[in-house]
Amino acid sequence: MVEGMFVVILIIPFVMTIYISFLRWRANRPFEQAYLTGFRNYEAVLSDPGFWDSLGRTFYFAGFAVLFELVIGFLLAMMVHQVTRGRRFYITIFLIPMMVVPVVAGYNFSMIYLDSGPLNQILSPLLNFFDINPRIRWLSDPLAAQWAIIIADVWQWTSLTFLIFLSGFSGLPPQLINAAKIMGASRSQIFFWVELPLLKPAIVIAVVIRLMEALKLFDPVVLLTFGGPGTSTQTIAYYLWEQVWQFNKYSFGAAASVLLLILFSGLIFFGIYLISRQSDAVDRGEV
Amino acid sequence: MEGGASISRTEAAQRAQKDASRKRRSWTVIRHAVLIGWASLIMFPIYWMIQTSFKDSGEWVTWPPNWIPEDPTLKNYEQIFSFNVQESGVARQATEQPFNIWGALLDSIIICTSSALIALFMGTFLAYAISRYNVGGKRFRHSVLLIRMIPPIVIAIPLLMYYAIMVPLATDAVLGVRLSLFDTRLGLSLLYITITLPFVIWMMLSFIDEIPYSFEYAARIMGAGRIYTIRKVVLPLVASGMVVTFLFVFILNWAEFLLALTLTHPDVTTLPVLLNKFQSASEGRLYGPQAAIGTIITIPVVIMGILIQKHLIKGFSFGTIRK
Repeated sequence: MVEGMFVVILIIPFVMTIYISFLRWRANRPFEQAYLTGFRNYEAVLSDPGFWDSLGRTFYFAGFAVLFELVIGFLLAMMVHQVTRGRRFYITIFLIPMMVVPVVAGYNFSMIYLDSGPLNQILSPLLNFFDINPRIRWLSDPLAAQWAIIIADVWQWTSLTFLIFLSGFSGLPPQLINAAKIMGASRSQIFFWVELPLLKPAIVIAVVIRLMEALKLFDPVVLLTFGGPGTSTQTIAYYLWEQVWQFNKYSFGAAASVLLLILFSGLIFFGIYLISRQSDAVDRGEV
Repeated sequence: MEGGASISRTEAAQRAQKDASRKRRSWTVIRHAVLIGWASLIMFPIYWMIQTSFKDSGEWVTWPPNWIPEDPTLKNYEQIFSFNVQESGVARQATEQPFNIWGALLDSIIICTSSALIALFMGTFLAYAISRYNVGGKRFRHSVLLIRMIPPIVIAIPLLMYYAIMVPLATDAVLGVRLSLFDTRLGLSLLYITITLPFVIWMMLSFIDEIPYSFEYAARIMGAGRIYTIRKVVLPLVASGMVVTFLFVFILNWAEFLLALTLTHPDVTTLPVLLNKFQSASEGRLYGPQAAIGTIITIPVVIMGILIQKHLIKGFSFGTIRK
């Protein structure tokens, strides 16, 4: 019974995707008339520069976004941990972006980057000083559009790294820190030799989880730039979506899906390995 | 002489103490300044959306932009909520369908609520099994969450094929009717149950682990059956945890965009997809109605999020913090 359900739910779609990836099938022809072409689709995917570019761009976005999220989230969690007054207020505010629907966040930022939006208004004294027309179209420039997406991602997901680090800070054992203080350690010594090693599991978790989530980046791209200008903000998710849902290249998409599934499974198993190694160390009391 | 020296020593000590406290105080001020700065950065985009939703069409994109609507109006809300969309102006003339926020709201609520409830029901029992009988071994606890990290676009293409081709073919062969899961509430709900189940298991695990086993043991000794023990001992103790988990999963479903965009069209529409449709309108973007929809989507989930916030802080330690 359970095996039967497993076959129906997991194996059949998977096998079928692999089968479709060997077909030559687009939306202009019914499924029954499609014919086999072997590895042609895989060759097409692997030789398509758009595929490699968008894959590389995804890692570039994810890398920078996660870097900023980690640094800002860590500093904020540290400061909120030290502050006594207004702590609940800060936590409440800082966690709001996580609850905001990503589509709405993308929309909000599209309003801010508008050529007559508040960002240009705030910058206009500076821009007027340099004789630049303050009504800049941020999303029409490839580099600016890329960083616009990174900033929107940082705005939304710093709250998650903040949350992970905050629970890390509040789980620090006060005995160890007091002991270090009594033994005459300075504040920076306590931070680097006591607190930071204790926070290592939280850091690993934040990196793994955020990196994995950042590789899915799709919603702000659709709302902000539609992958443009040109293809300069296409992430791998957007690229695949465009290939399949705009250009109707089903077999091509299936082949790309299989390849990406293999790639991401490798990354995910590595992530599982990192996280469970950390918690094993905690269980053994080594950290 | 001696007295003078001791006085100056105590004075020096006092001064040092005062310096230290002043330094500490200035650090506190800097800290608060940074935190308030970040808080206003966070609130600004949300504020901008809300105030845009109260602007009339002429004011959406003025230069310089107004920070407070000059003439606050509820027109945007009226437009998106009016039943007869064709007449009231938001509808695009040349396109296939009017924007129907009531339909999208209903679809969103039905899909999110039903899939969250079913996932909660299944996940609670699975988490109980994992917690008490150690099903799947020790590593399973971590790997359960990492299932979610597969990018949804990678599973969206197989699912599209499955929903739109396999299921119709199978029902044609078995029942003689072509049924499709593509563009149905059922199809989307089933998918949401699957992708949120790891989160339910993971959250419920932390709640169930906190209940001492001795409670259940006592109940079993007194002659209660296994199911009866779960129903009368375990479930009442994790009831608040179940509410938190339900709200969390509801927020996840509510925000989901990619799968809703790719697996439904045109019958079923969730709210994020509806917001996106205003974007691709041929007659330019309708900033005001978009802002109004955005506000309507955002407010309920932000309130839910604030309600469960305390539990999130506890839950996001991922078991790596010593008890």
